[in-house]
Amino acid sequence: MSDELFDRGEFVQYFRDEAEELLQQIDADLLKLEDFLDSGHADGEIVNSLFRALHTLKGSAGMLGFTDAQNLAHKLENLCDLLRKDRMPLSETGINILFGGRDFLTELVEAAINGTQAPRDPSEFASHIDSFVAVYEQTSHLIEGTVTERKYEEVVAEEARPSAAADIDAFEAEVQRLLEQAQAQKAATPQPAVQPAQKPVEAAPSTTPAEPAAKAEETAPADAAKAQTAKRASSHQTIRVDIDRLDTLLNLVGELVINRTRISDIAGTLERLLADKTFTSSQALIGPLAKDLADSSALLARTTNEIQESIMKVRMVPIGQVFDRFPRLVRDVAKARGKEVQLQISGADTDLDKTIVDEIGDPLMHLLRNNVDHGIETPEVRESRGKSRHGTISLNAYHEGNQIIIEVADDGNGIDLARVRERGIKQGLISADDRLSDREIIELIFTPGFSTAETVSDVSGRGVGMDVVKKTISRLKGVFDVDSRTGAGTTFTIKLPLTLAIIQALLVRVADELYSIPLDSVIESQRVEMQDVRTVHGNEVITLRGQVVPLVRIADFFELGGKRDPDKVMTVIVGLGGRQVGLVVDSFQGEQEIVIKPLSDVVGRIPGISGATILGNGSISLIIDVHSLVSEAYTDGKVARAEFSGV
Amino acid sequence: MTTMDHQANKQLSGEVVQVVSFHLGSEEYGVDIGQVQEIIRMVEITHVPRAPHFMEGVINLRGQLIPIIDLRTRFGMKRAEATKSTRIVVTEIGTKRVGIVVDSVSEVINIPIENVEPAPEMIAGVGTEYIQGVGKMNDRLIIMLDLTMVMSGEEKQELASLEESLTAR
Repeated sequence: MSDELFDRGEFVQYFRDEAEELLQQIDADLLKLEDFLDSGHADGEIVNSLFRALHTLKGSAGMLGFTDAQNLAHKLENLCDLLRKDRMPLSETGINILFGGRDFLTELVEAAINGTQAPRDPSEFASHIDSFVAVYEQTSHLIEGTVTERKYEEVVAEEARPSAAADIDAFEAEVQRLLEQAQAQKAATPQPAVQPAQKPVEAAPSTTPAEPAAKAEETAPADAAKAQTAKRASSHQTIRVDIDRLDTLLNLVGELVINRTRISDIAGTLERLLADKTFTSSQALIGPLAKDLADSSALLARTTNEIQESIMKVRMVPIGQVFDRFPRLVRDVAKARGKEVQLQISGADTDLDKTIVDEIGDPLMHLLRNNVDHGIETPEVRESRGKSRHGTISLNAYHEGNQIIIEVADDGNGIDLARVRERGIKQGLISADDRLSDREIIELIFTPGFSTAETVSDVSGRGVGMDVVKKTISRLKGVFDVDSRTGAGTTFTIKLPLTLAIIQALLVRVADELYSIPLDSVIESQRVEMQDVRTVHGNEVITLRGQVVPLVRIADFFELGGKRDPDKVMTVIVGLGGRQVGLVVDSFQGEQEIVIKPLSDVVGRIPGISGATILGNGSISLIIDVHSLVSEAYTDGKVARAEFSGV
Repeated sequence: MTTMDHQANKQLSGEVVQVVSFHLGSEEYGVDIGQVQEIIRMVEITHVPRAPHFMEGVINLRGQLIPIIDLRTRFGMKRAEATKSTRIVVTEIGTKRVGIVVDSVSEVINIPIENVEPAPEMIAGVGTEYIQGVGKMNDRLIIMLDLTMVMSGEEKQELASLEESLTAR
């Protein structure tokens, strides 16, 4: 493989995508397999699927010379083969080994792709699998047909090999211990804040020095490392596209080509007309020509619109790609916390822009962890409250207009308001005599550093999480909402735009420049008489339906100068997560669909500006970053009390 | 010009530097032709508030946003109203495309390398760090700019840190 006959990098990229999919598949199959534990007999379909996934992964890894991953996949495949041929009963130990092996495979694949040292030596784990499998392989020739655990033990007894049985017991206990430790360590490892498409490394009990080193590197010079990851991710992003969508695009491009011919025909006729000096013949021709041109431009408009839409669709991927990894997460967290949780997923085929899909995974993971850890009660408590032993978390996605809604709901305890309030006082976020509404109390959980946990638990309680979730969602131009009913459960609702590339915007004029304000954050636009503008601590505010709304004069914010209208202010009321701000502009210029172009790689990040767009006449309009304007208005301390109001 | 021509040219006249020359006030400047992507007429520049101070704004070049630097502002010269001859020289500095506003563009000249002298201490308010050398052509003096240095110092740092914060997000 040393001779570079083919572009290895490209193959590694394919492998990365394929492996990710296969490992997801393996996870899903294992979770399904777990349901058959009681019967002790594995469902043939599932085991076959599992076997195939492992087999494919083995082959691909082998092709690229990733021998560690190849060997481990091979061992797991052997185990599956025994299950498949009914030569081994389905046991909890078996499944746990497969789960452990799958996680190990993830590590090995990751290490192989990045060309780094595997965080731990696979040989120990491999020999565990071997010895587990060996017992069945040795005895399988003695028995025909289905083997149950009981039968197997009888066989062993008949064979008068008590030591073997003892071996297995000891071995199973050992495997169990190893897996539990690994589980505990995994849970204890803080989740890196943003690390798309990369599973956290599961630590083995025999932690090798490479592991902490790798972690340290992740966290210490965070910026440099993150920049690295970001660069790597952006240079390697690929997307799988449904061939039908490409066909549609090709058709549309065909239309464009036809149209091009038509337009050049018109141009040709025009030229001939120009050459023709006799006015009369021109007159007769101009009419049809104008009609032709009108038709052609109408067609052009329609086709480009459709191309725009199709390209957007190409960027869309089902959100199921993210959801797929959650059953395993919920299972693991629930096990670690001694809870019984059922995860119900619906709407996994809902399409969403690829960039959003990549970013939404971590926030959702935080929410689900929270649901399991804080929301769902232990089976005993649930029974005492007359609920079913196992809690249910539903994860639901659907389209609504130009948005996608993701709901994460549990039927657990709901947010303990008294406790949150108490912790808020303790952490100095509010004072004991503050009178807060329920919503205001809930809002406290989004404060950075806030945690209700008395002690830091494995799963959550470090106070990172909810504020990060909220930040991520606002960065994606989404809205995050919490609904909690004491004793009945918590529902998190996330509303996200379908795409980040094209948005509806309100164009406004400020100091002779056109600015775009994303329409999704615009609540209304209003003309307010100057006499209705009041000042609070030197800041202009207006009252809107009983709510105090601070004003931000865009011209002042951007230091554009220009003169103020002494009689009235034109305000665009924008809202973000319940906070409202009135942006003062010179005039409104109507709504328009705009294509967002990043400005940051051109002039660097500018506070208050999220990008730019090119308007129909070729001029540039800067897009106002409502999020940073709103938070700046509120964090100046000017509107301190408004901080918690009306959310 | 094909590579062959170029080679022949070199053999005939020895090493030459090809520069695009332009005027700023009364001085003539030159930039290495390899750094110039195209030269366009003055277009409307969209002001970007709160941008680094040397950044004049952005323009739309066939659907791409290009930041614009006014060399007059950059070199501490008096600002000038745009005229018919004002041009934007679109350059590539590293991987970044940047447009610079100049009073006028004259021509592409080949300057024999032996006619290029190291920069004197100070030329008309332009710090020597931006100057690669001074080329002499007959009685003309062409100040040869190092565009990477024009974006240097605080500006470069500013850009770099902006870029970092961007990639690190």
